[in-house]
Amino acid sequence: MALFETRGLTKRFLGVTAVDGVDLTVEAGELVSLIGPNGSGKTTLFNCVTGYLAPDEGRVTFRGRDVTGVAAHRIARLGVGRTFQLVSVFPRLSAIENLLTFLQQHQEESLVGRLVRAPRVRRLEAAAVERARSLLDSVGLAARADVPAGTLSYGQRKLLAFAAALMPDPELLLLDEPAAAINPTMIEQMKAQIRALHRQGKTVVLVEHNMDVVMDISQRVIVLDHGQKIAEGPPEVVRRDPKVVEAYFGR
Amino acid sequence: MRAGRFILGSTALVAVPWIVAAVLPGQQRYVLHVLIFTALYGSLALSYDLVVGHVGSLSLAHPAFFGIGAYTAALLATEAHWPFAAALPAGVGLAALVALAVGVPMFRLTEHSFAMGTLGFAIVTQVVATNWVDFTHGPLCVTGIPKPQVGALRIATLPAFYWMGLATLALVALLYRGLTTFRLGRAFHAVRDNETLAAAASIDPLKYRMLAFVIGGAVAGGVGALYVSYVGVLCPGELTVSLSVNLLVMIFLGGVGTLRGVLVGAAAFTALPEVLRMAPTWRMVIYGLLLLVIVIRAPDGLEGLIRQGSSLGRRPSGV
Amino acid sequence: MSDLVEQLVHGLTLGSLYAMVATGLALMFGVVRLINFAHGEFYMLGGYAFWYAYAELGLPYPVAGLVAVAAMGVFGLVYERAVIRAILARTWHVQLIATLATSITLTNLAILVFGTQPKEVPTRLSAAILDVGGVRLAWQRLLVLVAAVAIFAGLEWFVRHARFGKAMRAVSQNREACAVVGVDVQQVALATFGISAGLAGAAAALVSPLFNIFPDVGALLTLKAFAAVIVGGFGYVRGAIAAAFLIGIAESLAAGYVSYAYKDAIAFVVMVLVLLVRPQGLFGRRIGI
Repeated sequence: MALFETRGLTKRFLGVTAVDGVDLTVEAGELVSLIGPNGSGKTTLFNCVTGYLAPDEGRVTFRGRDVTGVAAHRIARLGVGRTFQLVSVFPRLSAIENLLTFLQQHQEESLVGRLVRAPRVRRLEAAAVERARSLLDSVGLAARADVPAGTLSYGQRKLLAFAAALMPDPELLLLDEPAAAINPTMIEQMKAQIRALHRQGKTVVLVEHNMDVVMDISQRVIVLDHGQKIAEGPPEVVRRDPKVVEAYFGR
Repeated sequence: MRAGRFILGSTALVAVPWIVAAVLPGQQRYVLHVLIFTALYGSLALSYDLVVGHVGSLSLAHPAFFGIGAYTAALLATEAHWPFAAALPAGVGLAALVALAVGVPMFRLTEHSFAMGTLGFAIVTQVVATNWVDFTHGPLCVTGIPKPQVGALRIATLPAFYWMGLATLALVALLYRGLTTFRLGRAFHAVRDNETLAAAASIDPLKYRMLAFVIGGAVAGGVGALYVSYVGVLCPGELTVSLSVNLLVMIFLGGVGTLRGVLVGAAAFTALPEVLRMAPTWRMVIYGLLLLVIVIRAPDGLEGLIRQGSSLGRRPSGV
Repeated sequence: MSDLVEQLVHGLTLGSLYAMVATGLALMFGVVRLINFAHGEFYMLGGYAFWYAYAELGLPYPVAGLVAVAAMGVFGLVYERAVIRAILARTWHVQLIATLATSITLTNLAILVFGTQPKEVPTRLSAAILDVGGVRLAWQRLLVLVAAVAIFAGLEWFVRHARFGKAMRAVSQNREACAVVGVDVQQVALATFGISAGLAGAAAALVSPLFNIFPDVGALLTLKAFAAVIVGGFGYVRGAIAAAFLIGIAESLAAGYVSYAYKDAIAFVVMVLVLLVRPQGLFGRRIGI
């Protein structure tokens, strides 16, 4: 059973078909890149799949379960993490509080439960802080743990968002342009992080424009153009596919 | 020694009626009256700040919940002769129920529409209160609302009302603190500051907006019930849009989203015009201008200005 | 039967009023994406300007009407400079609170200057009754409807054919592109406010002879105009006009046949019903005015 699939996914806006009957299958543990020229529907696809947009047609399944049109917060709770094209953090919270916010729904305790089992709650909180610190460390933000996230640089916020998405230990991670608008050193850092996730057995799907990154780390590449899937396969095969070349250059 | 200061401060607050009698003889009635109003307005402002300051929903429906609590308690006490101990929870309960019923459709609206929808609801509530004369007495007002009697305890003197007000404010402040810190506070603030990201963090924005809205409405209803038990009379003019403006001034003046800020704003708002003895119409002109200037220049109100002064923690950008 | 017709005529009068005010609101939202909470006060001030020109200065009706329009046009420009400019780039919370604060200030200033007693401004046309087969209506009502239609037709022409009107439409569709192409967006915003306020002034000059002028008249008007804008599809002028007439007629019929006391609630009820069933408004999301 594939970890995550779409069948005939379609989304229209005011006369434009942004996503047009897309069939996608991602197996557990894969590292897949989704590419395509601007406006090909990649982010719209992400938004449909993660519950921010309701598809007009088609189905989305996660671990065999139909999640078409399910609200974003519920899909996140099922174990799907994501980052956003425009980097998104909680600006008024510190870096570590940003991370803690991502874990708290997974450690829900009723009010009475919290009073009665206070020692257990304290241990859970301590474990959460522990995990947050170690994640911050792994992205190199340990020194900035208590600084308001809004004061971090763009690249630092990107790393923070990445760490935050990992906080609840999601099975599937959807990264929207992780290499965009950051310097080459950070790009290498990001690539290393993604490879590390892959080695841990996590499933990663990225939307990316940076072809070096895509070719370098992906196991499989899917190409969208005008909302339709036009090619799919290993990176070296896809890059030579004439349809792909035409989509990017031949117009 | 924080515990020491706390005990001293609390004792001083409780002893206020005697302090005032000693320091300002002859003014005791007036001062206590202002303090009671300050306590009630402070509680109302805190309940409003839960919705506006902590979850970021610009609701203009608060006067309606205040009014529902007030009318419920007033009518139950005068027509059905319910004791205060029953009328107050009834007011709170009904306000909460209405908030729940109204909140569900309202939160499907975004931004401006939400504000307008809640405003419309507030106006409709006022129209109903004014026109359903058979039930609410309309402009003739509900009169003769009895003073609270809880068992053997009868709250009829000004000092007694002062302590009731103080106790209410303390309780509401405690509730406010509890709701806006730790996990619940983080969830509220996540929804306020970045709703999209909050959803990605498995936080249900609707659930938390509704929670703040219903609790805020319920507390407003409670304050309404207490208010009528003190004033003894209830007219539909109490639930106008002006009340929303007053509440906005209070929380933005003092510092939206902070306990101390909102209390400072409420105190300044209630006490100041008494000190200045302004006519109501002039007062509203000044408040309107004040709110305009504050919201344009210093969106965090006094608290923000104070914090900018001390260099503790620079605020990241964005209201 | 004649009763029903009279109610409908009244509904059309109300609809014309709401439509003129809602058009201004829709224009402002369409062009600068801002909800002006103080819009009802444009009407209120226009009404007082008209009263002053007609009743106090004794100017002839058409002249007094133009004075009201001009006065509000200027006020709209001043308002844009003084208040709107400062809040254009801010969040909608700030915009809403700022315009709400302005509304309260203007309303209370009006109380201080003019008092709370309503001003009556009857004209020859509001007193003269037209009798059509048993249906009696004031000539003024006919004037309101005809003038409203003329104004909307004029506005439509302006937005489609006049250079500045086309600029307004362009800005409402894509602000950034306009700035790049060299359209003076600031000027367009300024003019939009002048036009919207002028429209409210015209509405006041037309309708005040039938209904009275008092400081609080703006509050309910803003709400109803906003309801029309929402129902019509936010920033879509034609939609707002259609919705405004719908609300006006519904209100009049409800007042006549259901309950006079609660007529003001109708606009809100219509708005909430439409929003629950079709959140994007009756005509759907449109781009541009």
